[in-house]
Amino acid sequence: MRTIVHRIVGSQESGLVLVVVLVTLALALLAGSHPDLSTGASINNFWNANTLVQTATDASFFAIMAIGATMVIISGGIDLSVGSIYALAGVSMALVLRAMGPAGGATTVFVGLAVCLGVGLLCGLLNGALVVGLRVHPFIITLGSMWILRGIAFVATKAESIIVPTPLTAVVKAPLGLPSTLYPVPMLTMLAMMVLGTIYLQRTVMGRHIFAFGGNVEASRFAGLSLSRIQIGVFAVSGLTAGLAAFLGASFYGSASSGDAQGYELYVIASAVVGGASLIGGKGSALGAMLGALLIVLIRQSIRTLHFDQNYEWIVIGCAIIIAVVVDQWSTRAGARRLSLAREQLKTAA
Amino acid sequence: MGEPAVRFEHVSKRFPGVQALSDVSLEIAAGSCHALCGENGAGKSTLGKILAGLQSPDEGKLFVHGREVRLDSPRDAQMAGIAMVHQELAFCDNLSVAENLCLAALPSRGGLLDRREMERRATAMLAETGTVLDVGRPFGELPIAQRQMVQIAAAVGGGADIIVFDEPTSSLSQVEADQLYALMGRLQQRGVTCIFVSHRMPEIFRLCDTLSVLRDGRHVATRPTAGLTEGELVQLMIGRSIAEYLPKHRDTGAGDEVLRVERLTLPGKFEDLSLTLRAGEVVGLAGLMGAGRSEFACTLFGLDRATSGAIYVNGAKVEIDSPDAAIAAGITLVPEDRKKQGLVLMASALHNSSLPSLWRLSRLSWIQRDRERRMATEYFARLRVRAASPDVVVGGLSGGNQQKVVLAKWLAMRARVLILDEPTRGVDVGAKAEIHALIGELAEQGTAILLISSELPEVITLSERILVLREGRLVGEVRRQDATQDGLLRMMTGLGSGVGQAAD
Repeated sequence: MRTIVHRIVGSQESGLVLVVVLVTLALALLAGSHPDLSTGASINNFWNANTLVQTATDASFFAIMAIGATMVIISGGIDLSVGSIYALAGVSMALVLRAMGPAGGATTVFVGLAVCLGVGLLCGLLNGALVVGLRVHPFIITLGSMWILRGIAFVATKAESIIVPTPLTAVVKAPLGLPSTLYPVPMLTMLAMMVLGTIYLQRTVMGRHIFAFGGNVEASRFAGLSLSRIQIGVFAVSGLTAGLAAFLGASFYGSASSGDAQGYELYVIASAVVGGASLIGGKGSALGAMLGALLIVLIRQSIRTLHFDQNYEWIVIGCAIIIAVVVDQWSTRAGARRLSLAREQLKTAA
Repeated sequence: MGEPAVRFEHVSKRFPGVQALSDVSLEIAAGSCHALCGENGAGKSTLGKILAGLQSPDEGKLFVHGREVRLDSPRDAQMAGIAMVHQELAFCDNLSVAENLCLAALPSRGGLLDRREMERRATAMLAETGTVLDVGRPFGELPIAQRQMVQIAAAVGGGADIIVFDEPTSSLSQVEADQLYALMGRLQQRGVTCIFVSHRMPEIFRLCDTLSVLRDGRHVATRPTAGLTEGELVQLMIGRSIAEYLPKHRDTGAGDEVLRVERLTLPGKFEDLSLTLRAGEVVGLAGLMGAGRSEFACTLFGLDRATSGAIYVNGAKVEIDSPDAAIAAGITLVPEDRKKQGLVLMASALHNSSLPSLWRLSRLSWIQRDRERRMATEYFARLRVRAASPDVVVGGLSGGNQQKVVLAKWLAMRARVLILDEPTRGVDVGAKAEIHALIGELAEQGTAILLISSELPEVITLSERILVLREGRLVGEVRRQDATQDGLLRMMTGLGSGVGQAAD
């Protein structure tokens, strides 16, 4: 019993879960309500299925990328190119499907997904190979590829927005038995990716290697780990998640353009960092990344729900990021102190 | 004798989870050389840090030359005439020696930095302590020994008359340590009070006139060094008597040849190095810093690539171009610097111990956590790692326990050849004895061990043969029964004729 309580209280994400829950509750309490048009029943402006699922959907696109980017950050690197990978993967899919002409629903979805994931993976591998091969800091490499990849998307589409075939939209907007105004697929994909990411980081050899690499490169080298494989691997995963997000995003909105996901890289990094990832490396989690993304979207949502002036959105988000990270640092330190005190009390009691 | 230079009265200090000091009261006479001894975690470094203003005591008073002082920052300590020389001191690696020495008050003329005046002042400060070096060089480029000289010059130049030395020789070669001892002698002649925090018995006896022993944060005794034996000091430090500080060497009767190195060369580091290692044999590798010992070890482990020469394991030639290949060939290395090379400090002891063996402990990359934990628990028990649980963050453990985790990590690989590079550096007496016993035990079980150590007594007692390196070349091989510290030192330095000098 004690160990379970310890594990929950002591876990990295406990504080963040609490904050997300509190913000959600506060929003529900403060949002006010409006009468339902058909039934006349009172509906909370925030705490209703539509708004909640929509908030999660908004978060899901960059939450999925944040899960991949967190792995890069745990390894001590950074990936600034995820937004551009998203755009390139999205327009590649749209272009390939347009060139292919009409095809069956299943074929369309399969080809679309394959193109998005393939382009994402390829871009990630390229980032990783450049970082390893040229021995240049990931910040520089991905700063460069951020412009290059978006530039390729821009040239390839001649700056036009390309319509994505309807079967894709039908799949990503499938109601899965819920009322037809709810689209749970992106949210569920986000949850699935969080679970997969957690398993990858916590339970596999590759995941453990990422933490070791980010914690101490030199010690990892002395332990016989293949450093280049680890580094290329994290960028590949990051690219792959950007490809997946692009598939969901382009399909959801029904079109792709080279301007998609502009500035997403910063939301993605912010989510990872708010989620407890350390830019020095060695620390972070998939759950944290997802919660970080949710928190950012919730804060954005609160401005709308509470009818604050929308012009202040960026200022509020910026402040929230700094506050979240500082609070996380404090609580980590306080948590460590509490745990060690508790341990001593146990010892003296025994 | 008049007023003591330093007096601690009922000083206590606690850190989360540890009572570092409890009710310590002791005096340090002015002009003396006073050793603070104790095992790692005994509180001796904490006491030194309190004096240097790096930490504040929770309770108790501190008097310097009879006046009560509060030292809340290194600046306060400096004002009180106290300075500290320690391994990881905050000097700026990227700035020059002169800039570092004058950082507190950079001379300027017309708002611009007066470089010539700065270098003149820095040279003068170094001359005060009898040190000559190019003050224009970046501090980070200096060898550790010279960095300490600079630190000492800064301390003396800043008007310090009480200097705390925290394990100053732990990364120094014998020759460099001798230079430091000489400098400490000169400081004493100038009336400087030296406080010396160290594990190393011979140093304490050689340098210090008085010593205070701490154990588990308590002050156990303060005695004049004269009339005390090493055995008595060890007993005071660990609170029980160990029959022998160094274990008797067990003659294991070496088995078949396991490792043969033929004319291995890494230009600029070592040349034409040949050796053989048999199963169950401990071979010592002695040499000064920079003689190429660690570089040779790293090359055997695939971290560097030799330009010529060959390595044979069990008679078969092996190509070692990465640590991975070395591990596959059955060669493992316990590196010299556990914090930088041995451990991921922010990770748990458990995760550190399993790092190289993760693939073995997994199926299809899925880590089998039961097996991982069982392995760690087994080796931690065998090595007597003292940690609340395998899940504690390894950075929070004491030096001795950290070193044991590094050892556990490599023992778990069950390699045929184990290279130990300074396996007991910065490790307390108790843990050291345990590691020594372990080395004997491993040899008995048939592991071939190459032991690199700067502590000659350790090399001599543990090894069957000792190879001596000087400037990258093998200059001799000495059998244990013929080995003396003096003889080895002569071979290492190339001064005079040593015992069993073969190659020269």
